[in-house]
Amino acid sequence: MSRPSWNRWVSDLDAEINRKGENTVILGKERQKDWEVVYEGATGLIDLYQEDPESKGMNAIVGGFRVLMDGMFAAIDEGRPVVWHNCGCSPELIRGLEGVQTVPIELLTVLQNLVGEVDYTIALIDEAEAHGVAPEVCSIDKAAVGTVLNDLYPEPACMLYHNTPCDSQIAAIKSLTELTRKPMRLMDVPYLSGDREVQYLAKQLREAIPFLEEHTGIKFSWEIFREVCEESNRTAEYLRDWNELRRHTPCPQVSKLVALNTALLVAFSGDPEGTAIAKAFRDEAKERIERGESTVEGGELYRAIWYQDPVWFDLQFYDWMESELKLVIPMDLFGYYAPEALIDTSTPESMLEGLARKDLRVLPMSRQFKGPIDYFIDDYLRLCADYQVDFGIFAGHVACKHGLGGIGLFREASREADIPLLYFEFDMFDPRVTPVETIQDDITHFIEDVVRPRKEAA
Amino acid sequence: MKKNEILSIFQEVIEGPRNIYLDEWVKAGGKVMGYYCSYIPEEIFTAAGFLPYRIRGAGSEDSSDGDAYMSARVCTFVRHTISLALRGEFDFLDGVVLLQNCDHIRRAGDLFVKKVKLPFYSMLSVPRAPKERLFSWYLDELKRLKAEIEAHFGLAITEEKLEEAITLHNATRKRIRSLYDMRKKDAPPITGEEALTITIAAHLMPRDQFNTLMDDLLADLTNTEGTKGYRARVIITGSELDNPEYIAGIEQQGALSVAEVVCFGQRSFGELIEPGVDDPLERIARHKFFQVPCARMVECFDDQVAALKDTVREFNADGIIFQRMKFCDPWAGDGHNLYWRMKEEGIPFLGLEREYLVPASGQVKTRVQAFLEQMGK
Repeated sequence: MSRPSWNRWVSDLDAEINRKGENTVILGKERQKDWEVVYEGATGLIDLYQEDPESKGMNAIVGGFRVLMDGMFAAIDEGRPVVWHNCGCSPELIRGLEGVQTVPIELLTVLQNLVGEVDYTIALIDEAEAHGVAPEVCSIDKAAVGTVLNDLYPEPACMLYHNTPCDSQIAAIKSLTELTRKPMRLMDVPYLSGDREVQYLAKQLREAIPFLEEHTGIKFSWEIFREVCEESNRTAEYLRDWNELRRHTPCPQVSKLVALNTALLVAFSGDPEGTAIAKAFRDEAKERIERGESTVEGGELYRAIWYQDPVWFDLQFYDWMESELKLVIPMDLFGYYAPEALIDTSTPESMLEGLARKDLRVLPMSRQFKGPIDYFIDDYLRLCADYQVDFGIFAGHVACKHGLGGIGLFREASREADIPLLYFEFDMFDPRVTPVETIQDDITHFIEDVVRPRKEAA
Repeated sequence: MKKNEILSIFQEVIEGPRNIYLDEWVKAGGKVMGYYCSYIPEEIFTAAGFLPYRIRGAGSEDSSDGDAYMSARVCTFVRHTISLALRGEFDFLDGVVLLQNCDHIRRAGDLFVKKVKLPFYSMLSVPRAPKERLFSWYLDELKRLKAEIEAHFGLAITEEKLEEAITLHNATRKRIRSLYDMRKKDAPPITGEEALTITIAAHLMPRDQFNTLMDDLLADLTNTEGTKGYRARVIITGSELDNPEYIAGIEQQGALSVAEVVCFGQRSFGELIEPGVDDPLERIARHKFFQVPCARMVECFDDQVAALKDTVREFNADGIIFQRMKFCDPWAGDGHNLYWRMKEEGIPFLGLEREYLVPASGQVKTRVQAFLEQMGK
């Protein structure tokens, strides 16, 4: 079976929804059009590809997101409290309050770009800018503001945010707090990631519990929290195995899967659905290795580490790289699960410290973006070595000023390590900044002019 | 000395990276500590016997050296300052202290470590919410900084020296407060351009000498005829601003700036550090941590708004001009939020974007004119 051409397919689906009219009914309640598009998109993809053994990982994560949407809609219907959080916040602590629904503020944008229609994201970005959010704020944060301006998320009882991975998140969480005027608590994630910092964050997590209890009206359960952390650990173990398996040459799985790992961690950490997705990622890689299969038809010619941010607005782009260039991305920054200790579930303190350690040292972006440039560069060089790549691609999302501010040192480190580096700037959620064709040209020329001659010479 | 003579001195002080007072200090064997942000207490440097020197990009003709390391999407303030540093224009510094106040400055810190390589470097991790629950971390960071300075330079920052530093810096705060009080008059004896020149100079020269000049200036200002005939009184706020020419461009349109609530302006001084029996470092830390917050801080927007409204009322301002360095995300969030809050409050608000070292352009002037007309001025 050929790879799913999702974005085009979803466009057709969108046209079909349009024919049905604006008020399609999902789960017994009228939902906004934006949610209809992503829900129908996810459902359609699952229906179409659920039997496809080549799509086990993708099916699992799309299925997981549908379950998450079901949970969110059900929370509205049942009047359960909702807590918003951001992508710097792993949601295990919130799950310690039974029945509370977690909603990452990036959720709708991620889903719209994954299974829905990018034009909806663009509309939300434009709406935020028209409302006064500066254009240089990250597109996912602008889209989050647009989502809130349109009341597309269920009203939160309160919000729990971490001040990572970037300043744009600070702008977003302040704006969302201002727009909703709902109680908000900030977890201050410090500059470094040592043991002192772990203790500092763990203390804040503990102090956030009464805040969550007060505003959700639900008692925090250490027993539920323990189960959540154990679930989080199971997910982590699968992801570690999966990271190892993707080192295999040839790479067994599609490149785009690695881009989805951060969404998995932000949306599903501590949720059995997350473990199921991680297991599917792992199983698919394992089985394909056992069958001796490469994700690139005809065999891979080039391997690269994709660093900084994925092309979320068109994940088909990765299919193009594989089919046209025989280029595979075995790992990227979003897919990397750092080999840190699992959450020790023996005591409340050890769990809070374990979660703090995960927030600081594991969660992609938060791990690499917030501290000194060495945090950012060292992981890149490690990935290049571990995954035995021919070159690196620094996909500079225009809003990631920390990355763009470190590009000179990053280039120097690449040169010293003798790893060819392609650098370009684009917007990961907004194709108007750099069209996908331009990125395709950049990569094609770089391979032709730099990578291929170098490989031939070697 | 008269107002114009003193202002000329301050103008010379702020023109480039070096100034005559700094050079004399260095020539006499004094040490100089560079720093970047209002959350870094100058009192610690003073107590260590250093001249605190707040880093800025004045004198940079282009940012090409910084551009070699940073994308054009990094703010021009940071690229100019790091360009000066890479060119050796800050070689008089014995060290530099930063905090992770924004993504841009963090990367400037990396370049200071790896490329500029001053003898001493420290990066503070300052919490992003001015809340009591996070204060002890900030205090610990200051203790760490103090210990690092003591160890590196082989000196002791005693409580007595900290108390002396508090007294010296409070003396500056009193003078700045007196200056600002004069600006509340219907005919302020000083313009916004001049006031910002003064407050910038305070960050670049020995405080005792600055205070002496301020005494002369304040004495002369009591007899100075104030500015009349302006069309409106405005508060200038927003991101880092150390370019008086920019304010001059605004004032030329008839908008008199009566308070600059910006870094290098009022925001850097605040209230006095009160005497007390507590550890002086803790009193310094409380003063800095709980000052009127800037945009990097979260869970405090109501406090920011309240402080701004108080300033509008105290200075009898007609409106607010908010300026933001292009690509500054923290102030991008606050710019959006302030616009809507001020709309609720019925306070006229103009939002402007700018680049570092670029004076107010024709476009800015046109927008200020339109703003004044909107206010019916």
